[in-house]
Amino acid sequence: MTTAVEQPAALERQSFPANGERARGFDLLRVPLLGRFLRWRGSRLALQTPLFGLSLMMIAHAFFGPDIAPKNLAALLTWVHFRGLVVVVILLAGNLFCMACPFLVMRDLARRWITPRWEWPRSLRNKWPSVALFVAVLFVYELFDLFSSPFWTGVLIVLYFGLATLVDLLFRRASFCKYLCPVGQFNFLSSTMAPLEVSVRDASICQSCQSKDCIRGVQIALPSRDGVTGLNMELPVIQRGCELALFQPRKVDNLDCTFCLDCVYACPHDNVGIVARLPSERLTHSGPRSGLGTIERRPDFTALITVFTFGALLNAFAMISPVYALEQAVAQATGLRVEWPILSGLFAFALIVEPAVLLGAAAFVTRWWSGTREGVLPLVKRFSRSLIPIGFGVWLAHYAFHFLTGFLTVIPVFQNAVRESFGTALLGKPMWQLGGLPEAVVFPIEVGFLGLGLIGSWAATWTITGEVATSRRNAAFLPWAAVHLTLFVVAVWIMTQPMDMRGTFLGG
Amino acid sequence: MNASGYLLRLLSVSVAILVLCGCTSGNQNDLATDVTLTLNPSPPVVGTSSVSLILSRPDGSPVKGATVRLEGNMNHAGMKPSFADLAEGEPGQYAGTLEFTMGGDWFVIVTATTADGRRIEQKIDVRGVKTQ
Repeated sequence: MTTAVEQPAALERQSFPANGERARGFDLLRVPLLGRFLRWRGSRLALQTPLFGLSLMMIAHAFFGPDIAPKNLAALLTWVHFRGLVVVVILLAGNLFCMACPFLVMRDLARRWITPRWEWPRSLRNKWPSVALFVAVLFVYELFDLFSSPFWTGVLIVLYFGLATLVDLLFRRASFCKYLCPVGQFNFLSSTMAPLEVSVRDASICQSCQSKDCIRGVQIALPSRDGVTGLNMELPVIQRGCELALFQPRKVDNLDCTFCLDCVYACPHDNVGIVARLPSERLTHSGPRSGLGTIERRPDFTALITVFTFGALLNAFAMISPVYALEQAVAQATGLRVEWPILSGLFAFALIVEPAVLLGAAAFVTRWWSGTREGVLPLVKRFSRSLIPIGFGVWLAHYAFHFLTGFLTVIPVFQNAVRESFGTALLGKPMWQLGGLPEAVVFPIEVGFLGLGLIGSWAATWTITGEVATSRRNAAFLPWAAVHLTLFVVAVWIMTQPMDMRGTFLGG
Repeated sequence: MNASGYLLRLLSVSVAILVLCGCTSGNQNDLATDVTLTLNPSPPVVGTSSVSLILSRPDGSPVKGATVRLEGNMNHAGMKPSFADLAEGEPGQYAGTLEFTMGGDWFVIVTATTADGRRIEQKIDVRGVKTQ
């Protein structure tokens, strides 16, 4: 016998201010075959399994394969294919990487024997830890030139597996995904641009729902001593509810949603779908969101969005010639012969000084021109959401460049790996002539992505201006539009620069 | 098969793949050789560069009649390699051209097979290829 666990009284009393609209549009779960597959409870494991196997192969190749990045599956798949496919798939569908995340396979396996005992510390229930890890990954990527090092790429993958497993064996629910995983945070923010969202189909059904299984899960009910069916939190869970604390009727957008579909399997009314929507249409939602609170008032969210957006420019800038000229100039001026202090300065400028100046100035001018009484910092937090589209556009343009110009290189690299592993060319002689699209073809695509990002940021800004200056929206719009345009111009300039990917400080 | 049995089998197969992939043999030189690579222009720029290569034994005698192939790669994954076959001019001196398709750090893998079938392989860093 199964039923839902007891629910907090507060949850019982909630009524959902949903609009009562029935989702009549496209629903991925209603697509023949594919929808049936996704509604199958084993579908996530079926998607994770090949990626887990691929991850093990990448780790093996990182440590035992050729120490040459262009010929190593770990470096190639991580820095070209994985990054490129993640952003392209998010643009076309949604956060499918988190859905198929291989890092959780070991966790789920180990949790069959080990039950996490602790709740994630209250003081860390925010995005600050993931902001720190996000910056750390960007910094380590540049400092150790991970793109040219199969070994250190392998170390990174192993550390990722280890950290995800350790954290989720110590702490309940999906603590790693929600509070730590930098890839997850990247995907959460990016998937606000996705055309699909896990959402309730009919809000009125949720109004009358008593069990709230979508967030609390379903547990086995056993008879208690007095013979009455009893439930408690120690009973085995037969279907998880949302481990990221997203209560479907109040969930807004894809933020913090891993597309794990636990809510779909838990809902006794078959009322959760993967529905179509306009990309970014829920980004400007104002007010509380389930599991997140009011993000436009959260400084940690503002920091995460800032790192996401300005980190995109920094990551792309580090791949072109001027960065080396800048490093050399700083080294000559200061006499420094090691890279980390110079890189630290570059990061501090790009991720702290530059955003502080640009966003602070925009907020100040907004306040001045529009006459709003809202302070500069609250305005920065409110408008920071508008940075996500242009930030995603920069990531998309950058990663799409690497992916589109090199997606076929995986074929000869895999052929070579098989040949070296088995001593014979089972898959044929490596076809090294395979590459990808010419740069001249890819460049307009990059500019197109940046342009879409710019338009998206302007559209989001226009909507947000309605929250602060209903009578002088133009005055509130223009400063932020100028910031977005500046980011767009800088990104286009970066993309027009010749790539100059070096693995040595000061050019060796 | 229950889920835990499935996952255990999955883990076993994955470990087996990992061990299998680990059995990769490295390249070894069959002959003690000095390899000197010269590029023109130097430092190289994006485009076609002239390459001259000198193969000699430690006693200074040239390695004659070898078949020499160069493979140029960027240090970044996802780039198509460039190949060049070099022709011997003077004994032990080989020449040809190699294309650098992008600015940045490159390396060249020299593979030579001597007349008596012995193999020489060496990786040479070519850092800071300039963009014109």
